[in-house]
Amino acid sequence: MTLTSAPRRAAATLPVPPSRAPATILAVVVGVIILIATAGLDIEWTELGDVPSRVVNYLQLMFADPNWDKLPRALFETWRSISMAWLGAIGCVVASIPLGMLAARGVGPTWLRYLLRGVFAIIRAVPEVIIALILLTVTGLTPFTGALALGIAGIGTQGKWVYETIESAQEGASEAVRAAGGNTLETTRWALWPAAAPALMSFALYRFELNIRMSAVLGLVGAGGIGSMLANYANFRAWDTVGMLLIVVVVITMCFDLISGSIRRRIMEGARPRGMDRSH
Amino acid sequence: MTERATAPLQLPERSRRRWPAVGATAAIGIFTVLTCLPAIGGVDVDFSALVRNWSNGATKVNQLLHPNFAFLPRTVSPMLETLAMAVAGAAFAAIVSIPLTLWAARPSNPNPVTRQLVRFIININRAVPDLVYATVLVAMLGVGTLPGFVTLFLFDLGVVVKLVSEAIDSSDHPYLESGQAAGGTQAQINKVTLLPQSWTLFANQWLYSLELNVRISAILGIVGAGGIGRLLDERRGFYMYGDVSVIILEILVVIVLIEACSTALRRRLR
Repeated sequence: MTLTSAPRRAAATLPVPPSRAPATILAVVVGVIILIATAGLDIEWTELGDVPSRVVNYLQLMFADPNWDKLPRALFETWRSISMAWLGAIGCVVASIPLGMLAARGVGPTWLRYLLRGVFAIIRAVPEVIIALILLTVTGLTPFTGALALGIAGIGTQGKWVYETIESAQEGASEAVRAAGGNTLETTRWALWPAAAPALMSFALYRFELNIRMSAVLGLVGAGGIGSMLANYANFRAWDTVGMLLIVVVVITMCFDLISGSIRRRIMEGARPRGMDRSH
Repeated sequence: MTERATAPLQLPERSRRRWPAVGATAAIGIFTVLTCLPAIGGVDVDFSALVRNWSNGATKVNQLLHPNFAFLPRTVSPMLETLAMAVAGAAFAAIVSIPLTLWAARPSNPNPVTRQLVRFIININRAVPDLVYATVLVAMLGVGTLPGFVTLFLFDLGVVVKLVSEAIDSSDHPYLESGQAAGGTQAQINKVTLLPQSWTLFANQWLYSLELNVRISAILGIVGAGGIGRLLDERRGFYMYGDVSVIILEILVVIVLIEACSTALRRRLR
């Protein structure tokens, strides 16, 4: 017996590392799809190298010396776009609040709930521009029909927001009103509406923000407003005017986002408490 | 003692500050009236024109309700072009979004100047509606898939960088500090701790941007940027509403399929 021999170390049994095959296969498949898609595009990729320089050239044409002479006209058209967005938002909100409430669990009858939810889902699935395009084909290309199209195209999403808000709000309050003898209408008025109103107002403003972007897009397909003006000048390659119009679109959009965003925050978070100090 | 028991119930005084509600209602009313004045650019609210157009519109709706399925084979190749644009745009934007996101998030870029600069550019990028990009880019680069691809690329960049950098901002980064303590440079810290932690955020938004791309690329063609939208606009121009409704149905099916796939994948990511 030799005392110096170290006890034999047991062979380390490391756990088998997890197979990386699924991840590798997934990566290869995704890579192949991307390559096929990229190759399938009818683009001269050698040209892509000078796209940045061409774009920079056009950016200089647009923004080096924007044509501010057309600004009054642009502001006039911008107001038309904003009006379309606003009236569309009002139409959408006025229609979607009752419809969304009826689609909420516990308010309307079951058959109506499924019917309305189905309609909302279908409207949501179709891109808004396509809904607008169909409506404009039917009713003619005017700013009024543009507003109408915005109103109808937004109902899908807006209605979903309404019934989700109502369903997440109805807990104790509606039960209390029902226990006090209130019917469905009274429950809606005195329990659901007060709980959901701030969120619904906030969604209404958000719809307005979304519509401002959409109204510019509707203008591109011919409904009037800043989009139509932009499309015209872009077609005529009047770059200095296009540059001015883009600046107007960006500034107006950002301003309205800012205003509407701060109002929404105010609605949702409430005012800072005033007059609550106990010094007097 | 008895007096106290019969004391009338003291209701708290009703708040008399009604003016905020009145003011808000008045402001909304004034704004609405201003939007209805055609003289200053408002919308001419004219229901009678709607009624006049309706008789005209009813025949079109009737045509739309009778899709011409014989047209379907001709829509396949533009539809593939649309999907190719969507995938390629999302893929290129995904690659470029990584460094930009790291620049725009507070934990990965402590330098306020470059961070605010990137955020400002992304905000401007996001303020331009997608089809407006497409219109201007079609005028710049010519009709075809190239402006569509560039539009989707720019749009996705805005979505991914904004959403992921905000998610990085609001999540905890316990390892960042250990990286700093170990003496790593910011680039090393980002590579070793922040990126591995954020891959799911990225992957989630990349898939979401692909979803959005399919919706947008279907309509980009309306302004000349290639894909199925161009066919849609062409058939609409020829008043072939049976073909138009086939195209719309096809777009609808493809969007629903892509969203179902993407939602399933995103659920697995969590």
